[in-house]
Amino acid sequence: MSDEEKRIGVFICHCGSNIAGFIDVPAVTEYVKTLPDVVFATRNLYTCADDGLTSIKESIKEHKLNRVVVAACTPRTHAPLFQGTCQEAGLNKYLFTFVNIRDQCSWVHMKEKEKATEKAKDLLRMGVARARLLQAQDEVKVGVTSAAVVIGGGVAGMSAALSIADQGFPVRLVEKESELGGFVRNLSSVYQEREDAGALLKTIIDRVRSNPNIEVLLNSEVISADGFVGNYDIIIDTKGQERNDKVGVIVLATGTREYIPKGLYGYGQSPNIVTLTEFEKLVKERKLPKLSSVAFIQCVGSRGQDKSYCSRICCNVSLKNAMNLAENYKNMRGLEGTGAVVEAAAPKETPSEGGERRHGRRGRRGGAEESEEGGASEGPKLEIVIFNRDIMAYGVDHELMYNKAREKKVRLVRYTPKNIPKVSVDSGKLVIDYWHDTLQMQRRMTPDLIVLATPVTSQADAKEISMMLKVPLGQDGFFLEAHVKLRPVDFATDGIYVCGTCKGPADIPEAVSQGIAAASRASIPLARGFVQPEALSAFVDSEVCSGCGNCIEVCPFTAIRKNEHGKAEVTIAACKGCGNCGATCPENAIFMNNYSDEQLLAEAKAALQEAKG
Amino acid sequence: MEKAESSVLVIGGGVAGIQASLDLADKGVIVQLVEKEPSIGGKMAQLDKTFPTNDCSICILAPKMADCYGHPNINVWTMSEVIGLEGSKGNFKAKVLKKARYVDENKCTGCGECLEKCPTKGLPNAWEQNLTTRRAIYMAFMQAVPRVAIIDPEHCRFLLEGKCGVCKKVCKREAIDYDMKDVEMEFNVAAVVVATGFDVWDPTRSTEYGYGKYPNVFTAMEYERIINAAGPTHGHIQRRSDGQEPVTMAYIQCVGSRNPRTGHPYCCSVCCMHSTKESMLAREHIEGIKSTIFYKDMRACAKGFNEYVERNKRDYGVEYINSDATVQGQTEKGNPIVSFDVAGKSHQKEFDMVVLAATLVPSKGNVELAKKLGVELDEFHFFKMQNRTLDPINSSRPGVYLAGYCAGPMDIPESVAMGSAAAAKAMEALVQRKVFA
Amino acid sequence: MSDFEPKIVVFLCNWCSYAGADLAGVSRYQYPTNIRAVRVMCSTRISAHIVLELFKEGADGVMVSGCHIGDCHYINGNLFTKRRVKLADDLLKLTGVEPERLRLEWVSAAEGEKYSQVITSFVKKVKELGPSPVLKDPKLVTRLGAAVMAAKYFRSKTLTCKEVKLTAKGNVYEEVIGPKEYDLMIERAIEDEYQKSLILTLSSQEARSVIELAKEIGQPTDRILEYVVALRAKNMLALDRIEGTTPRYRATIGGA
Repeated sequence: MSDEEKRIGVFICHCGSNIAGFIDVPAVTEYVKTLPDVVFATRNLYTCADDGLTSIKESIKEHKLNRVVVAACTPRTHAPLFQGTCQEAGLNKYLFTFVNIRDQCSWVHMKEKEKATEKAKDLLRMGVARARLLQAQDEVKVGVTSAAVVIGGGVAGMSAALSIADQGFPVRLVEKESELGGFVRNLSSVYQEREDAGALLKTIIDRVRSNPNIEVLLNSEVISADGFVGNYDIIIDTKGQERNDKVGVIVLATGTREYIPKGLYGYGQSPNIVTLTEFEKLVKERKLPKLSSVAFIQCVGSRGQDKSYCSRICCNVSLKNAMNLAENYKNMRGLEGTGAVVEAAAPKETPSEGGERRHGRRGRRGGAEESEEGGASEGPKLEIVIFNRDIMAYGVDHELMYNKAREKKVRLVRYTPKNIPKVSVDSGKLVIDYWHDTLQMQRRMTPDLIVLATPVTSQADAKEISMMLKVPLGQDGFFLEAHVKLRPVDFATDGIYVCGTCKGPADIPEAVSQGIAAASRASIPLARGFVQPEALSAFVDSEVCSGCGNCIEVCPFTAIRKNEHGKAEVTIAACKGCGNCGATCPENAIFMNNYSDEQLLAEAKAALQEAKG
Repeated sequence: MEKAESSVLVIGGGVAGIQASLDLADKGVIVQLVEKEPSIGGKMAQLDKTFPTNDCSICILAPKMADCYGHPNINVWTMSEVIGLEGSKGNFKAKVLKKARYVDENKCTGCGECLEKCPTKGLPNAWEQNLTTRRAIYMAFMQAVPRVAIIDPEHCRFLLEGKCGVCKKVCKREAIDYDMKDVEMEFNVAAVVVATGFDVWDPTRSTEYGYGKYPNVFTAMEYERIINAAGPTHGHIQRRSDGQEPVTMAYIQCVGSRNPRTGHPYCCSVCCMHSTKESMLAREHIEGIKSTIFYKDMRACAKGFNEYVERNKRDYGVEYINSDATVQGQTEKGNPIVSFDVAGKSHQKEFDMVVLAATLVPSKGNVELAKKLGVELDEFHFFKMQNRTLDPINSSRPGVYLAGYCAGPMDIPESVAMGSAAAAKAMEALVQRKVFA
Repeated sequence: MSDFEPKIVVFLCNWCSYAGADLAGVSRYQYPTNIRAVRVMCSTRISAHIVLELFKEGADGVMVSGCHIGDCHYINGNLFTKRRVKLADDLLKLTGVEPERLRLEWVSAAEGEKYSQVITSFVKKVKELGPSPVLKDPKLVTRLGAAVMAAKYFRSKTLTCKEVKLTAKGNVYEEVIGPKEYDLMIERAIEDEYQKSLILTLSSQEARSVIELAKEIGQPTDRILEYVVALRAKNMLALDRIEGTTPRYRATIGGA
């Protein structure tokens, strides 16, 4: 390898004006031509565009390049593209290296063209120094266990399991509770058509139960997972019994739980102050008390009150319940047919003191403010108020429901974080004092029931699962996908996927979509039948290895074991190439593919030379 | 011809269609990806950055576009439309019309020589929101995939009058083919994924915002191109009237949406966030710029969105005013006058520039396409889901699946997820076909 | 000194800090041009000897940046990073190079702004310190060579990788060592290794007497004698010749 003549080609991207506007790209290109082993250097308006890629391919052939350096944006997004291009031209992709002169150069030195240009030259010298030491690598092909485990039997998990099963692969669906259904089991109805949540769940559960490819494991948890994409050894604790299993992929759908608003808005001070989910349960169990006035308070504990995020679904759940109360109060209480008369009292709001009443200027305005037209003309009826900051009725169905709720005289009162409604409990009676922005005055209402819309939060065991599977949690405590825009159901770790509310608030259709999406991603390795990990793994020189075992101790992926000769040996497909073992080995017997000491030092030392050109 | 049991038709080459194609192709399925425009990429390719990470849109999309075009299992058919679908789930026969590009895709290197020489100039560049011009032969955009020129037959002198032929003369690759004809193709496929995306609503249809009347009122899509370094102004924010940099900017939300009178009573789900992003970016382009967002409800309701809005208020000094707003005239200097209400009182304020969050509506072509595919649309012309809760991916016709904005308002990650989900459903159809055929 | 433009090498882990640095770019947070970043998969990859090697080559500053503790893409790689940078820091102190030239920072993928601030403040600090004294001072080169050697020794490497185990789970006798105790233990061990390395380095250049070595290193003669005895026992140092009554020793293995 070392005898081979090195022929390095360098491609420098203008990225339109993103790079060329702040770096003298022609000067950098000329400089690069003076570097050792560089036989070709050029610049492209967009190296990533079709013509840029073509120029790489053609130059590899024309100039017999055996190393390629691209200086452009960032390897995090574009390395695979250029590696693929090299491969198409017959060059091993490990003979490619990337130099970041945009995100970490032109964009951060926008006012210092000269110095930025010097830095770009240095960065290219470093890249070329690294390129000279690159070696071709073969990626190892590893077979895949053709089965999946889905952790969590809520709607997302069930949807994922169904789709993987229907794509022809066996699935273990592991649910820690004694029945399937997850969070939706708490709900009375599903908001779109206000169909019965129980009936909906039954439909999905029946599909799962009747699918021959799905094995449902209730009262079960995955307690250990070892291995790597395509080859996981998992242990499932099922009703106290440990069961060893092998799967190729893991889908995480562990769901969510409701935030308990301790110390907020009088929660705990009265049985008539409940959370949204508690309210759903009251409805579901037909235990709703007799009501003449109900207040919903949105964003309790969310959007900066405690959690920083918006929980996405609560506005629409409150709207649904408000609509239900407005249209269907009798049925909700289960009083129909019992002969009981629903006692409806007049709204109890303190009458306004002739403040300025404002109507929608163009007839479509009220939503953001308030539907003021109280229901007096239609006789006494249930008063429903939703205190909100913004109503998150995104999309078609939610917005139409929002409009309909306003027609049904659901009052929407907006508050700001500086002026939150004050709840007090006065000898068992509930009081809400609030600021009326349009009237510019303080007002009071005395509802029978206060429903606090709290956010959904991460599960208690999220941290534990994150440690077990080595997948990250975001700052909000939800699982963090590989990329918020383009990889919404993948983890950075291959072979593990995520869907539903364990990665953030989502409603039922969204959870179902994500579940099916995760199934699509997860079944790719299953359908291919093999995986080919990147050749970044550690490699032990068994002649030098003293068998001290330090590397085995530090490896986070249990990818190193002692072989029959007492020497360390790496399981290539399990190794993720972090380099901990390489930095640890006292004999320098561990070599990191593509990130050797020699390569790192050559690259870093090149930074310390002066650019002459 | 590919066998139906191993093929799927994907209609629309935006991010949802690309994701569906890649997922299927990675499983060994042959994908026929049909795109009506000259390049894949869809609307995402036109955006400057994406919220809430301010990732450069084309930067993250371009690798996917290239992967898609270069994938051995994906056939990308640009300039093409589906004109018929016969058969049933597992066994469809799709008819596709590929319109003449007049440039040979296999020969054109995208060098751009012809673009410089074409004498027919000054044609509106629709991709750049008509903010700049193109010639009769042009490239869809800088990072178009495939990077192949295209001749506009309505303006090409040679095609119209038989005179000129300059592009043919300058093309050293001999890629120009004036005799190219539309071609009808037929594909056997087991399933169909519909991912036709959206159109931007035209605010000239409403007089309330003065769009088209006052030059310094822009749509958000125009603005996305303006702040883009590769756009018509090279990323310099300039007023249409005098080319000056604005100091004050207003963003008006819900333009054409949440409004029954426009036929779009729904919320487009993304405008709150793209205006937040755009105002943040304005500050990065012009120090000291003062932006105000007029909104009805700030729907910052997905991962990291609320934090993003709070950051915009705190670190970028963007003011959020909870009010409807309209544009009621302009000053002598051409500053649009925005009318709004605070605490029940009406206000008027002039801004140097106004950006309208014009709503996103189902593609115009949906009605015709739905007829050809034999699927139902909802009352707003979104493709109808079989059951929004239980089967949000299925259309009304078995074997035809939905992905992205064509099924209802959603943002990029939701479209990507739905693209994957539609691929899963299509895969299920293929598997079923193999089992029961 | 105002026109001094330092050269600083920064090692960034691929998953957090490199992404954070990219985010700084995407968000256009400006910072000085003096840094040259090297991407590694995990900050844990950076052994102390790599850092010291760069100082030996004349780097004005070196920074290692990884994910926040708890965020490591490789579970706990950065815990080891912390220890490795501490090792480099301890050795740097022994050589006499200002330890402020070495910095460890945690920068997440979401902290573009923090990255720019960290870089700005580090560049400022290094500018205050002035150009690296190493290249102008052959003694420092020798000492850094010894430090590189010491960092590679079995004891140094083993101790840096055992921290997690020894301070959390305890040794074979189930004695859990406190973090401060552990630091002290390492510092002592490192000093031993460093002095021995320095003896080897100096005596590989020419045969040296104990008194010469003591003078050169700045340690008491009896202590140097102890090391010489220990090194001779391991056959790393051999008697070269006796000049008068003074024995002179030469390293049997090459110094750095």
